[in-house]
Amino acid sequence: MFRAIRTRQTTLAPLVLLLPAFTVMLFVVAMPLAFSFYTSLTPYRLTRPESIEIYIGARNYIRLWDNAAFWAAFWRTILFLAIALNVELLLGLGIALLINKLTWGQRTLRTIMMFPMMFSPILVGFQFKFIFNDNIGIVNNALQSLGLIDRAIPWLVDAQLAMFSIIVAEVWMSTSIFAILLLAGLLAMPRDPIEAARVDGCNSWQVFRHIPLPFLMPFIFIAMTIRSLDVARAYDIVHVMTGGGPAGRTELLWTLIARVGYNNARMGEANAMAYVSTLLSIAFTVFFFRKLMAARRYMGGAE
Amino acid sequence: MKRSFKALTLGVSAVALIAGAAAAEMDYGSFDGYTLRVKLIGGAQYEPLYAEIGEWEEMTGATVQILSRQNHFELDREIKQDIAAGTLNWCVGSNHTSFAPQYGNIYTDLRELISEDVLAEFVPLVLEHSTVGGRLVQLPRHSDVSNLFYIRSLYEDEENAAAFEAEYGYPLAPPETWEQVRDQAMFFADPPNFFGTQFVGRDEAITGRFYEMLVAEGGQLFTDDWEPAFNSEAGVRALSWFVDLYDAGVVPAGVPNYLWDDTGLGFASGSVALNLDWAGWAAFFNDEDESAIAGDVGVTRAPMGSAGLRTGWSGSHTFSITETCDNKEAAASFITFLTDHDRQMVEARRGLLPTRTAVWDTAMGEFREAGDDFLAEVFETFQTSMTEDAFTPPLIAEWIEVSNELWPRLQSAMVGDMSPQDALDKAAREALIIMEDAGYR
Amino acid sequence: MSRAVRQRVQAVALWIATFLLMVIMCIPGLWVVLSAFRPNREILARPPVWVPERLTFNNFAKIFGLGDAQVAIPVGSYFMNSVVIALTSTFVALVIGMAGGYAFARFRFRFKNSLFLSLMLFRTVPGIALSLPLFMLWSRLGIIDTQMGLIIVYIALNVPFTIWLIDGFFRQIPMSLSEAAQVDGCTRWQAFWKIEFPLAKGGIAAAGVFAFLTSWNEYALAAQLTRSTDSKTLPVGLMDFTAQFTIDWAGMSAMAVIIIVPALILTFLVQKHLIRGLTFGGVKG
Repeated sequence: MFRAIRTRQTTLAPLVLLLPAFTVMLFVVAMPLAFSFYTSLTPYRLTRPESIEIYIGARNYIRLWDNAAFWAAFWRTILFLAIALNVELLLGLGIALLINKLTWGQRTLRTIMMFPMMFSPILVGFQFKFIFNDNIGIVNNALQSLGLIDRAIPWLVDAQLAMFSIIVAEVWMSTSIFAILLLAGLLAMPRDPIEAARVDGCNSWQVFRHIPLPFLMPFIFIAMTIRSLDVARAYDIVHVMTGGGPAGRTELLWTLIARVGYNNARMGEANAMAYVSTLLSIAFTVFFFRKLMAARRYMGGAE
Repeated sequence: MKRSFKALTLGVSAVALIAGAAAAEMDYGSFDGYTLRVKLIGGAQYEPLYAEIGEWEEMTGATVQILSRQNHFELDREIKQDIAAGTLNWCVGSNHTSFAPQYGNIYTDLRELISEDVLAEFVPLVLEHSTVGGRLVQLPRHSDVSNLFYIRSLYEDEENAAAFEAEYGYPLAPPETWEQVRDQAMFFADPPNFFGTQFVGRDEAITGRFYEMLVAEGGQLFTDDWEPAFNSEAGVRALSWFVDLYDAGVVPAGVPNYLWDDTGLGFASGSVALNLDWAGWAAFFNDEDESAIAGDVGVTRAPMGSAGLRTGWSGSHTFSITETCDNKEAAASFITFLTDHDRQMVEARRGLLPTRTAVWDTAMGEFREAGDDFLAEVFETFQTSMTEDAFTPPLIAEWIEVSNELWPRLQSAMVGDMSPQDALDKAAREALIIMEDAGYR
Repeated sequence: MSRAVRQRVQAVALWIATFLLMVIMCIPGLWVVLSAFRPNREILARPPVWVPERLTFNNFAKIFGLGDAQVAIPVGSYFMNSVVIALTSTFVALVIGMAGGYAFARFRFRFKNSLFLSLMLFRTVPGIALSLPLFMLWSRLGIIDTQMGLIIVYIALNVPFTIWLIDGFFRQIPMSLSEAAQVDGCTRWQAFWKIEFPLAKGGIAAAGVFAFLTSWNEYALAAQLTRSTDSKTLPVGLMDFTAQFTIDWAGMSAMAVIIIVPALILTFLVQKHLIRGLTFGGVKG
């Protein structure tokens, strides 16, 4: 009998322990999501509350198929994420490797490294809007003072530069997170194999590719997974810097959804878009999570 | 705050007129213990008026609870959320003539609450702009319209004048037509250090600028049966004006991303010759502490398009009362107080345009007396445009939505992704869908 | 030069080089801090003013309504709201995270991996998709514009990542330790508090810093769910510096400094645990 209670406890205990987590997620995320799924099946307009009762099936979704602006934003968002995440990874890795080499004074530099993490995304938006202003922005002023350019570069207007500028802002804000996660990985790494390889006459790249890199892979995927969880906060930045313009050149899914939903008050349509964008985030996260699991199995570390 | 005796007497008589409607007592009624819940627009230029609220509280015994105070776009979203969630549990909200039509019937018809005598003291055109579907849903607090500011010394320079006349064949003077603005902008421009003119390039701002140019060119946004008509010849002419100046590089390269703060600060920095802008900026442009061109600012009526009409896109900041309000009399007393003669003077002294006919005269008199000829001239110019040139966008719920289809296409033409005709055609197709969905056709 | 001296010199050179690199990286942020102490006319001047002519505390004075400023920003209430909301939500998220992380690390049960992944996926829903339904739900419950309303949302925002980190950390602690304690007569609960929790503190601190920074800096949802000084947080307060026609960049920068400094101090204090926590927590979890 004693045994029986123990077994029941062990099956019940994790459920009890997980209950608060799932309760709060269901309450804050799942329930609103179910509601917004329902509204995506209606022609719901914010300013006409009664329109929520009209059921139109998948019409909002079918319309999305032909919505060129939506698909342009969709692919641009993927491009934005692909570039931003990779650049953040590379820069973060570089910074982590550098700081890892230091033998003293690491703590101060680690804090300096985390400085951008203290900035609210909305602030980062305003900050880079001013930095990239064509007339009074610090970038153009610096380039002009140095005599490198003799006309104003329209950073936030030009087809390529506008995307470049918002990616710079996003990268600036988030590289620290990569750097700190990767630094943690480097610090956890045993040093002996590297010393041994050095003695064996390997050059730095060979050493890096064969020893720290495989070890770092799980950390890289962790960082990627974590970042893909909250990429949507780039919305604040883009919203402030360009509002998705000019001519939709920096329109990402999130700015499009916000405009359709709130400014145009077409919540039904906006929620259909939001569902597609959620699927996109889920795809990114699952992709990196799988990679992470595979890397862990390769390391032999996981259960 | 110093007040001239004249202003004071006029103020008192205005109050007396209002009170006259509500019997002989000189007050705004008594609402002892009542708490009035309000949502107001916030920001530096709007806040000084709210310092007066205490006076109304004292007179009526009511308390004002300000539920939120944020900028217009945040407030707009908040009100839409309230409509959606059914939480319209407040009485008075800041409103704007361009936004009001979207809100359907949540606001009450003020003609049933405020006496004709009081309303008769407002500028009639502005009250007309505040009327949606035959209902006066808002009481105007101050108005705005744009006129052309310019750097005066550029026009007083004789070398400039001679060189300009030699090149363009007519004497250099503050422009009367947009054609002349184009000539002069090209003449003065010396990028990247100095620009001929500039304009806002995104959001409803550029839609409005295009719209007024369309009207000045003799076009219209919609036909009489609500078919989009802005892709007409006049529309292409209007849009080309912006596109040509952008292509020629006589406006800052960043204009497609500019909003009002960018243009205002740009002109104040002294790097732009001509600037079409709101009255609210006039005091700022002439302020030694803020502006590099203080003392050198000229103002003239907004120029004409080829149809002989002046651009006159106008809007008013207003107050509305909800249908769900539990004490409409208190609410009406409150907004009447906030828009009375003395209260409007508080705003007029800061350069905001009044909506009561009498305040115009008091304000101009006061500026003259104080020796501020610039502000007096500004008010004179703006009074003319408010009475003769001002017009609003179509007062329909779909205006903002149509604008959101239009402005990205205007930008497309500006940055060269599309020709003006293609851009307008595309926007017209999208606008047609909106109008059809909304049941206009 | 002896080998030891050369190594020492190399180390210093490397440190200086890294330091300079970090400073360059921080320039966009430092520019904001500098702007907080300069008047608007100088920041937005053309031609540019590179060397500040004078540094001033005017922007701060204006925020607090001192001097000849027009209207004070209720920065005190914003600050208190931010502190209460960020600290409470971080604390609760950590408690829930410890429970969840412990469950994933110490128990075997069906659908474990799927449950773990699904918990993470809740977090991928963009705030913009949640904002309206949340608003409607919250207004039914009467917690719009309350600290409570925002606290609940931030708990949900932070729970997934917290569980992830803490789970990894508990796994690093050998089961045998707590088992030994239980053999010695401790209950599982006692064993947790006496043995496992002290060992896991670093990881919990790391999770706490991330959770705190997320709550402290969040804007999009706070902008939807707060309305007045009852619950507005500092990032939402930044918008007080924008009006329809203008942005007061100097004032906004000063406010930004007020937001950044506490976060920076906190990070510096728990920084040692942060790295240790991540080091041991991440890889095998």
